[in-house]
Amino acid sequence: MIGLSHATVRFGARTVVDRLSFSVPIGRSLAILGPNGRGKTTALRAMLGFQRLHAGSRTAPSIVGYVPQVSVNNQRLRAIDIAVMGRAAHLGLFRQPGDEDYAVARTALNRTGAAGYAEQPFDRLSGGERQLVLLARALATGSEVLVLDEPAAALDLHNQERLLVLLESLRQERHKAIVFTTHDPNHALAAADDALLMMPDGSALFGPVAETVAPAHLERLYGVPMRTVELSGPAGALHRAVLPAFAGARAG
Amino acid sequence: MSEGLAARNGIPGGTPTWTRTTLVFAALLALLAVSLLVSLCAGRFGVPVTRALALIWQGLTDPSAPMQAMDERIVLLVRVPRVVLAALAGGGLAVCGAALQGVFRNPLVSPDILGISQGAALGGALAIMLGIWGFPLIAMVFVAGMVALVLVGFLARVSGRTETVTVILSGLVVSSVFAAVVSLLQFVADPETSLPAIVYWLMGSFSSATWERVLIASPGLILGAALLWSLRFRLNVLALDEAEAKSLGVRTERERWLIFALVAVIVGSQVAVSGIIGWIGIVIPHAARLLVGHDHRVMLPASILLGAAFTTIIDTLARTATAAEIPLGVITALVGAPIFAVLLRRHYRERSDR
Amino acid sequence: MTIGFPKAATRVRKVLPFMGLALVFALAAHPAGAQEVVFTDQANREVRLPKPADRVVSIVIPMASNLIALDGGTKKLVGMNPTAKSAVTQGILGKIFPEAKDIPSDVTSPSFVPNVEALAAVNPELVVQWGDIGEEKVAPLTNAGLTTMLILYGTEELTQGYMTMAGKAIGQNERLKALIDWRDAVRKDLAAKTAFIPEDKKPRALYLQRALTDLAASGTKGNYTEWSIELAGGRNAAAELVGTVTINKEQVAAWNPDVIFLNAFEAELDPSWVYKDPILSLTNAAKNHKVYKLPLGGYRWDPPSQESPLSWMWMANLLHPDVFHYDLRAEMKKAYKTLYHYDLADADIDGVLWTASQGDAANYAQFKAN
Repeated sequence: MIGLSHATVRFGARTVVDRLSFSVPIGRSLAILGPNGRGKTTALRAMLGFQRLHAGSRTAPSIVGYVPQVSVNNQRLRAIDIAVMGRAAHLGLFRQPGDEDYAVARTALNRTGAAGYAEQPFDRLSGGERQLVLLARALATGSEVLVLDEPAAALDLHNQERLLVLLESLRQERHKAIVFTTHDPNHALAAADDALLMMPDGSALFGPVAETVAPAHLERLYGVPMRTVELSGPAGALHRAVLPAFAGARAG
Repeated sequence: MSEGLAARNGIPGGTPTWTRTTLVFAALLALLAVSLLVSLCAGRFGVPVTRALALIWQGLTDPSAPMQAMDERIVLLVRVPRVVLAALAGGGLAVCGAALQGVFRNPLVSPDILGISQGAALGGALAIMLGIWGFPLIAMVFVAGMVALVLVGFLARVSGRTETVTVILSGLVVSSVFAAVVSLLQFVADPETSLPAIVYWLMGSFSSATWERVLIASPGLILGAALLWSLRFRLNVLALDEAEAKSLGVRTERERWLIFALVAVIVGSQVAVSGIIGWIGIVIPHAARLLVGHDHRVMLPASILLGAAFTTIIDTLARTATAAEIPLGVITALVGAPIFAVLLRRHYRERSDR
Repeated sequence: MTIGFPKAATRVRKVLPFMGLALVFALAAHPAGAQEVVFTDQANREVRLPKPADRVVSIVIPMASNLIALDGGTKKLVGMNPTAKSAVTQGILGKIFPEAKDIPSDVTSPSFVPNVEALAAVNPELVVQWGDIGEEKVAPLTNAGLTTMLILYGTEELTQGYMTMAGKAIGQNERLKALIDWRDAVRKDLAAKTAFIPEDKKPRALYLQRALTDLAASGTKGNYTEWSIELAGGRNAAAELVGTVTINKEQVAAWNPDVIFLNAFEAELDPSWVYKDPILSLTNAAKNHKVYKLPLGGYRWDPPSQESPLSWMWMANLLHPDVFHYDLRAEMKKAYKTLYHYDLADADIDGVLWTASQGDAANYAQFKAN
């Protein structure tokens, strides 16, 4: 379980997160939605304990499988060596990862589909490939909680699909509490049970995707008229999608 | 053999870079062994190589044998402790630089950054001025280095947290203050006695190496380096972004200070017995990175071996090239700065090629 | 034999062999300036004093005790280097001239950076500064309008040169002549006798200018103590060095000197330091008990001073006891009487010669009190 309870974060006089409450139990996925600059990342950092709370409290296990937006790293390490760092908490200060730890890391790379470039230098991989390696590292921690900061923001459509399929399959397993931030409501529709909408007035709307990711709420969230459309997915089943009805857009 | 070495380096699983890493380590060990042997056989006092080797063998097999002849004492009481001290200090400085460059995520960082060297320098200069020699001098140097680190820690902690940049800036501030006091001491020092002694000491030298000094410095050097080495995987994680490292269960701040304290123990022990020796802590980790890559699990031991060999060679030059001792700082700067310039250019060229 | 002070007034002044150094005493051209003192200092600058100076500051260390000796008292020394002051007050001069402790030493840093305000406060008529120390340590003096005399260190010629300038500047021409003549007489006596000593009979002596932090030794050129060793019939074991540099014990072992002279600067240093050292104790010098710390008299006997001839005699007696038989104690008593108007006691002499710590060294018995 991970979440915030009446959490408030201020930067100077500005209140970025105002009495925010939500919780994600094991087996559910939450998408934190909102345009850029609305405090999504701050809420996420607060939840992880990287951001001091002015009020309220947080709930999180001591180790969280965290996937940063980009990994700032000037070391040139192999992807497998990045993934094995997920074992750090289990090893403590002075121990080195052994064969079992590498086995866990390899399993995680297999799970995310990154095993093919396990031996490649991490910094030579594409953005999408790196994202999958970092997700494998998060899985390798063994934590029941996964937190992803804008996991799809820097990815092209193909890689977005790969990532969302992966997140969805992790959701389906119901073994983990998953939280990710995104500015695209369709990502929530693709891989989340619940959504948290960071509204412009500082309030937040928290509830199941089916109720919260609806045109009326989204219009308030983004300040853009939104429409829901039904489309058939690759397997033929119907999918719901939301689109902005931009004023300048026209058909034909 | 290759299995054993790689397992010791802590990287299980067959990988293509392994054989290369194993070869590099074999070469580094050979380099260190050769430089130690050459250094033991070289000196201003003529001792034939075979005699020198026989004496070293005698020292190893029968260390309690009384030493009556000059060549015995030269080899066993002057050269061996000096070579041992140079190798230990070089390995220690190099591993400090490697660890700090990881912690600061900055390849241009060196052990001087924490103010420890300047603090230790002040302790030494003060001791020389006060006419304190021997063990009390060494103790003063060590304590002053630690005081500098504590000051940096105190300054860098802003509202209960320590940021990397505040550590660097605090180190700069403390270094400047200590350097200023060292300058002040030089200003008031007796130009006939303490001033040249301070100046020489600030330039670094192993010329006063004795077994006693080896015994004083080696616990700190060996223990510090061994602990840093055992933190090698942790350093990989610490070198990540703060949030990433924390999410992986690293108590970043506490562990960073643990590393700083270990660096202080190593640098304090080194400066106490051989003065300020620059460049090794910055150049050697770079060279090690080029040879074995960035992974601290192989980079730290490579830095230790390379640092030990490099310092042994430099010190051999310093004591044999002329009848006069050449200050180590002069040679490390003359050799280190150009190497560093080449490495730096290579580093950034590679980066822009990516 | 002994060399006394010649009767200064009756002897014709000898022309000193100043090497490349123009030292010109101009006679005043007009009667009003009859007392005027004009000379060229060792940086080739003209120094002009309207009358002999009564107030002199020495930024240079050894010049302080030199001035005391030239004047036979401390009256004209109104400021000195802190290092010189500690040498004066802690040594025998402090006993002879207890008032020296009141002479200001805030006029300069030990590293010769003048404090112009403190200098102006003592109102000196002449300031003595080193000539090779850099313009930035001289300009403040000249800019403040202080009459400055620049001197150089290293050789006996330079020493006699600056002693002569200082003596003239304070109007002590007769005492000066006595001091210079004494130096020349002792030097000639030494040179005449060592000329007959073959090179291979001259012991190889090593002078350690520093020992406790690092070992420092010097080549012969431009270094006074090493020159003194050669004058006294020794060879400089460190002759291959250029300037004063740090050496290591292995190098000392390689040279294997017959005699080791320890400096008088490091207070904690005495011959036992050599005998306890595993390497140095195996040198010829240590094995033959020929390790001597230079005496500390009116000034340290290693650098040039008013007492240099005593230092040469001490060295010569030690290096060639079969050739030289100076009665050092008698010479010292006579010299101290002339230099400082002081009757040296036997205990004083023992203190200067360190007989407590090196009385049992080879050939040192000759210096024992009768």
